[in-house]
Amino acid sequence: MSARQLGMVIDLNKCIGCQTCTLACKSQWTDRDGREFMYWNHVETKPGKGYPRDWETAGGGWDGARLKPGRLPRLTEDYGIPADFNFEAALFRDSDQPLRPLEPMQWGPNWEEDQGAGEFPNGYFFYLPRLCNHCTKPACLAACPRQAIYKREEDGIVLIDQERCRGYRYCVAACPYKKIYFNPLAGTSEKCIFCYPRVEKGIPQACAYQCVGRARHVSYLDDEGGALHQLVNVWKVALPLHPEYGTQPNVYYVPPLSPPAFDADGKPSGQPRIPDDYLSQLFGPGVDAALATLQREIDKKSRGEASPLMDMLIAYRHGDMFRLSRPEAEKP
Amino acid sequence: MERRDFLKGTAYCGLALAFGGPLTPLSAFAAENPKARRAWENRYRREFLDTRGDAQGFAFHCSNCQGNCAWKVYAKDGVVTREEQAAAYPAINPKIPDANPRGCNKGIVHSKQMYQADRLLYPMKRAGRRGAGKWERVSWNEALDDIAARVLDNLQGHGLASLMLHCGTGILSLGRRAGPLRLGSLLGAQRLYPASAVGDMFTGASLAYGLATVGHTLDAWFEADTIILWGINPAVTRIPDAHYLMEARYNGARIYCITPEYNASAKLASDWLPVKPGSDSFLALSLLHVLFRDGLIDEAFVREQTDLPFLVRTDTGDLLRHRDLRDKGKDDVFYCWDEASDAVQTMPGTQGHFKKSLRLGKLRPALRGSWTVKGRDGALIPVTTVFEQARREALKFPPGETQASTGVHPALVERMAQDLAKAEKAIVNIGFSLHKYVSGTMTCWAAALACALTGHAGERGGLDTENNWSLGGIGPLSSPKPARFASGFFSEWMNGDMASSMKRHYSDAHLKHSLGLDNREIDALAGRYAETSGAWFGKPRALLLFADNMLRRNKSEAHYRRAFIEGLDLFVDVNHRMDSTALWADYVLPAKSQYESWDLRGELGYHRFCNITVPPKGLKPVGETKSEWEICLLLAEAIAAAAKKRGLDAIPDPDFLETKGDKAAPVMRELARLADDFSDHGKLRNDEDVVRWLMANVPAIAPWTPEEAMQHGYVTLNREAGFNSPLYANRPFHSFEHNVYLRQPYKTLSGRQQFYVDHPLFKRLGCATPTALRPLRPKTYPLAFWTPHTRHGIHSQWRTNAQLLRLQRGEPHVWLNPATARQRGIAEGDPVRVFNDVGAFQARAKLMPAIPPDALVMDHAWEPFQFRGRLGLNSVVAGLLSPLELVEGWGHLKFNPNWDGNMIAFESAVDVEKTA
Repeated sequence: MSARQLGMVIDLNKCIGCQTCTLACKSQWTDRDGREFMYWNHVETKPGKGYPRDWETAGGGWDGARLKPGRLPRLTEDYGIPADFNFEAALFRDSDQPLRPLEPMQWGPNWEEDQGAGEFPNGYFFYLPRLCNHCTKPACLAACPRQAIYKREEDGIVLIDQERCRGYRYCVAACPYKKIYFNPLAGTSEKCIFCYPRVEKGIPQACAYQCVGRARHVSYLDDEGGALHQLVNVWKVALPLHPEYGTQPNVYYVPPLSPPAFDADGKPSGQPRIPDDYLSQLFGPGVDAALATLQREIDKKSRGEASPLMDMLIAYRHGDMFRLSRPEAEKP
Repeated sequence: MERRDFLKGTAYCGLALAFGGPLTPLSAFAAENPKARRAWENRYRREFLDTRGDAQGFAFHCSNCQGNCAWKVYAKDGVVTREEQAAAYPAINPKIPDANPRGCNKGIVHSKQMYQADRLLYPMKRAGRRGAGKWERVSWNEALDDIAARVLDNLQGHGLASLMLHCGTGILSLGRRAGPLRLGSLLGAQRLYPASAVGDMFTGASLAYGLATVGHTLDAWFEADTIILWGINPAVTRIPDAHYLMEARYNGARIYCITPEYNASAKLASDWLPVKPGSDSFLALSLLHVLFRDGLIDEAFVREQTDLPFLVRTDTGDLLRHRDLRDKGKDDVFYCWDEASDAVQTMPGTQGHFKKSLRLGKLRPALRGSWTVKGRDGALIPVTTVFEQARREALKFPPGETQASTGVHPALVERMAQDLAKAEKAIVNIGFSLHKYVSGTMTCWAAALACALTGHAGERGGLDTENNWSLGGIGPLSSPKPARFASGFFSEWMNGDMASSMKRHYSDAHLKHSLGLDNREIDALAGRYAETSGAWFGKPRALLLFADNMLRRNKSEAHYRRAFIEGLDLFVDVNHRMDSTALWADYVLPAKSQYESWDLRGELGYHRFCNITVPPKGLKPVGETKSEWEICLLLAEAIAAAAKKRGLDAIPDPDFLETKGDKAAPVMRELARLADDFSDHGKLRNDEDVVRWLMANVPAIAPWTPEEAMQHGYVTLNREAGFNSPLYANRPFHSFEHNVYLRQPYKTLSGRQQFYVDHPLFKRLGCATPTALRPLRPKTYPLAFWTPHTRHGIHSQWRTNAQLLRLQRGEPHVWLNPATARQRGIAEGDPVRVFNDVGAFQARAKLMPAIPPDALVMDHAWEPFQFRGRLGLNSVVAGLLSPLELVEGWGHLKFNPNWDGNMIAFESAVDVEKTA
């Protein structure tokens, strides 16, 4: 555990699945140098197999004090190749070839966009943005035989030392979220660095700052005025993803509300269309209380009453969603 | 290793073991304290600084997107590295969320698009038959000289109207669009009305208000109590503003989302109304039914602000006019029954009335009742009110009965009506999907009536199609002379011979039964429109096309292309990328794209900011590309030179007259002087000159200077930007404050929100007041087909971007309900063929529980060249137009930017089968 921990809350009600964060991260970090296939931040549609494919059943994480075995995702089938296209042949030559990936795509970070589950008219889906959780108990760190992974004391950001890493990929398998990627060009493993070069300059993470839905709050967990402390500890509406993996993530999610399902006559049933059970599988037992709190506070606003929780989630000022300042002494 | 090889995936071949397979943790061995070794962290710090580069400009993304977002553009060594939202817009009010960080997934990949391999780098001339894809690189001069000569040949041989110089929706900004507009205006060329050509007219709003685009800045959502999203999916199509919706919910609003498929906006709504495709007008009439039935009516508003108290003759169904009661009476003065005097009285504020105010004074116009009035010949005329007529129509559609056609449970309709009525502020957003059905005009008109009945206008909200600012001062730049401004939908209908696919897809019996008019009658209406509207100038012979993908967009795709292209003697496409239309050109001229030329955009009314594009200093040109302004100037110079060589000074254009002294004379198309006129004697040489001119001459931009805009990437529009309301500095904008609070008349025949049209065709089709029209898709194929706007493109812009395609599946796919697919033996990812009697296309299947059975849905605007055989999704869409939109010459229904029609895109039926 680090002295301080920078964390993120992602409000799944405000996430519209637009993928601007995915591409903000890509152009900031992963459009070059062997990282082309990587998405340090991506948004997947839930329910679904996700990205990399079937990551939730690929092992890793903790079984009590022991690391669980994990599986390395396959490039083509589980991550998906970074497809290039036959522009020249399709557009500038005498041919009737359609524009196509040079190799057929089999999977990708948004392969299941808007698919979800259920049966019409009670189908449902929501978006789940995912990045490195900068865990308090990182399985990757424990799994690295070179001890190339460390957690920064000043902000809890988990980094893979690119000079020390030898590309053994134990971390890739150990991460239960499968958010570490092996760079075949560099021969090292890489992952989300929580944009520390930006954060150190007081600029929020690209995925958070550029989030058009204004869904992401960033602050230190011990900053009592910050959204993290308020949403996670006080209101308890922000929950970790798969807490049972045991790594104690520091990215939290406000679970999704959903319009009511219809009964057989097409009448709104009053029950949310996303089953509570499914959300509990993802976010643990706190989901019911979190959703009840959200609805209660929305109802207050409907009646014209005040709700500091709603005001925090509304986030009147984009700039106020990010509290990156640290005591002077702790700056590197 | 070459980066390109890596991208192609070859780098992974020898590394199979690096990916895949189980791995059991080892016990770690000890190393020196890693915390001591943090110097390596500089590696990512350096990388970050590299992406920030050595120069920074500002940009927005100019396309047919109303988002208009300020971005910072970073460049290193003259090459753009990355873009990031400026996120610097000021809050207008502490109680309203700010507009940051506007942007989306398309804007953020433009730095990739600008260097992608479909970029046009050099002028090219076709070296084979049209569309074959054989090109020869030519010099700018070679291209310009030949184009100029052939343009002149056509002007001299076939008249001024034979030239179409059209700038499509790929460029809608004030700066870049000004070039093509100015050149076309000087030449007298025809150009299409883009909003109509792409099917984005809100004719229901035009009926009601005389204005197609009305509404709010989208921060107004935040203050609303009730929001109805009707045929609009803002979470996908209004990405920069969609946050206001969830923030409104958190602020206590109820959001109703009406759309046949469960989508990203339904996900954030309080309630989703799964309306069956094309049945929206039945739902709208049921909404009206509840309001009328339960008397949920703001009577004071309705009496003053609408034509509902106007008298209607029950013998003829016509509005009672001044001429009915007085010899030499007027056509545009109307009556109410005044409860104060218990007599018939004229209503002030109509087009013909001497009082130009809606103030009623002592009048108390009745809403309910029937009376007889004495006609000018002494005969008694039975009359009632528009209110009674509208109410009678709505009462035919109880929610319990329309459920069978709409699929929406009456309990939801009742609750939505109550929430609309009791809301202090309610906003009803009409999306671009609705008018892609013939019934859309009625749905939108009925929704406008629902807003009127419940008094929602001005600060209380109301109908929202889309707000646009009214930026004056641009005329001298874009339209120095009158141009041939043509109806969009109708010109494409005629130019592409679309009637033939209509006849193939819709039988006479079906049309007669569903709509009341058969093919022959629709043909006759179109024929009359061509003759009398002045909105069609004949098929062009020479086409200079800027940023318009008309061969992607138009229905009955291959047929349209053949019909349109075969009549062209010259086809020049100016574009920054090879699109499905440029592929068929004789010449392609390479244009600069989003970050490379100066530009300004402030006419879009979703927010109040006017963005500027200023390229990063030292940006290297991409190939031989030029800005649209420079290209137009070069064309003007080439045409002028060729004209001088032919001894041709000018061509008189008697279709347009100008006053010279006290005489009317034809406008002269001054060919020999064209370049001088275009550049205003050298004052407007390039894109920077144009932006500086605009900032100095558009009053709504004052007092800002280009230098101030260059500091922040934007300026804030002033109060003048509002068209029918002031734009207050600290409040969201709402249409119609001048009408509601100052009682100024609306731009309609009645001077009010108009809900009665007694044009013979409206009466004949039962549409004199808002009513329900059936979906027209024929029963010959089982699946309804509609193509909502995509998340991954602005129409076809960015549709082929590799970064975005990697976030999809790399090629077109259709969305099918799993049960619909199962019945046909279609599994996830299977190749399928979609077909009907208009045509066929091939794609892959994606199974979606969100899609209703009996439907096939596809996000739109894939390029035809992304499909096998290069036949795109419009191959199965029949041409269709709405007879109501062909009405011309009734009151405010005269061809103009607020009254033009739509390509009907969502009324075709298809089937689908698995293919090999």
